[in-house]
Amino acid sequence: MTGETSRGGSVQETAGIQETADELRRSVASQFGRSLHIRTLDTGSCAACEQEIRLLAAPHYDLHRLGFFFTPAPRHADLLMVTGPMIRAFDIAARKTYEAMPGPKLVVATGACALGGVYPSDAFTHGGIGETLPVDVWIPGCPPSPLALLQGLLVAVDRLAGKVRDLSFMRDSLMPDGGHQ
Amino acid sequence: MPLWFLRGLRRGVVTTRYPARADGSATALPTPPAFRPDALTRELADRLAAVCPSRALARNASVLIFDVGACTACGRCREQAPGAVTASGEFELAATDRAHLVKRIPLLGDETARRSGPTAGQAPAGSQRGQA
Repeated sequence: MTGETSRGGSVQETAGIQETADELRRSVASQFGRSLHIRTLDTGSCAACEQEIRLLAAPHYDLHRLGFFFTPAPRHADLLMVTGPMIRAFDIAARKTYEAMPGPKLVVATGACALGGVYPSDAFTHGGIGETLPVDVWIPGCPPSPLALLQGLLVAVDRLAGKVRDLSFMRDSLMPDGGHQ
Repeated sequence: MPLWFLRGLRRGVVTTRYPARADGSATALPTPPAFRPDALTRELADRLAAVCPSRALARNASVLIFDVGACTACGRCREQAPGAVTASGEFELAATDRAHLVKRIPLLGDETARRSGPTAGQAPAGSQRGQA
C-alpha cells in the first residue's frame, strides 16, 4: 500500500498510528458488527444460492441475531452479495448497483458460479464476477450452505473494519476519544 | 401433530449457536473432497481431472491443482477413487483472496515436488481455467 510508505514519521508516531488503527478497527467492528445491511444481486444464478441466502433468515440460522439484515435498496447496503456467473447483459446493472452503494462497501462472491467454477468465459457470461466487481470475500459451495454463508459474512465484517480505516476522510483521523490535536 | 413440532417444543430453542458453537447439521451436507497424497498417482489425477464436471481439478506436471472455489461437491471424484478421495467435512471455506482457495497437492512418483511441498497461489485461478 502506498499509504503505508508515505506516512513515514518517527517510530513512536508509527506506533501511535498503529494503536489508533487498531482501536478504530475494534470500534468499527463493534459498530458494523451489530448492523450490516446486505443487498443480494443475482447475475444469472440457478437460484439455489438464493434459496440458501433466504434460509439465513429462517429461525434455525436467524442471521438477525448477528446484526445482519437484508435490504432491497443498494443505497442502504453495506455489503453486496453476488451470485451467478455474471452474465454480460447484467454488466451495467451490476456496475450501477455497486456505484449506488455508499462507502465503505463490500462485495461477497457467493457460490461456485460467482467464483468462476461452473461457466466458462464466453460471449454470454464473464464466467465469474471477479473481473467485473472488486470482490472482498469469496464463499465457495454449490450452493454454499447457510452456515458457510454465515461464516463468509463474519469474515466480511472483519474485512469491512479494514476498509473503513482506508477511507480517505479517515486517513488523518485522530483517536476516537482523543479530541483535537 | 408432526413429530418435529413436539421435538422442537421439548428442546426449546431451535436456533443454531453456530459462530460460538459447532452446528451438528454441518457435517451432513455435501462437502468438497479431501485427497490422500499417498494414494494419488499421475494416472489417477488425470482420471479425476477428466471426471470433474466443473474443472475444479487439473494436473500440472506432478501436482494436482484443486480449486475449492470451483468445486460443486458433486462427489464424482470420490466415486472414481473411494480409497484416495474422501469427503473433507469442511464448510468454513470463505476466503479474502481467490488464490487461497486453490490447493496444490503433490503426486506420487516425483520426489522433487514432494520435497518442496504444496505452494498455494502460484498461478491465479483464471489462468488455470484458460488452460482447461
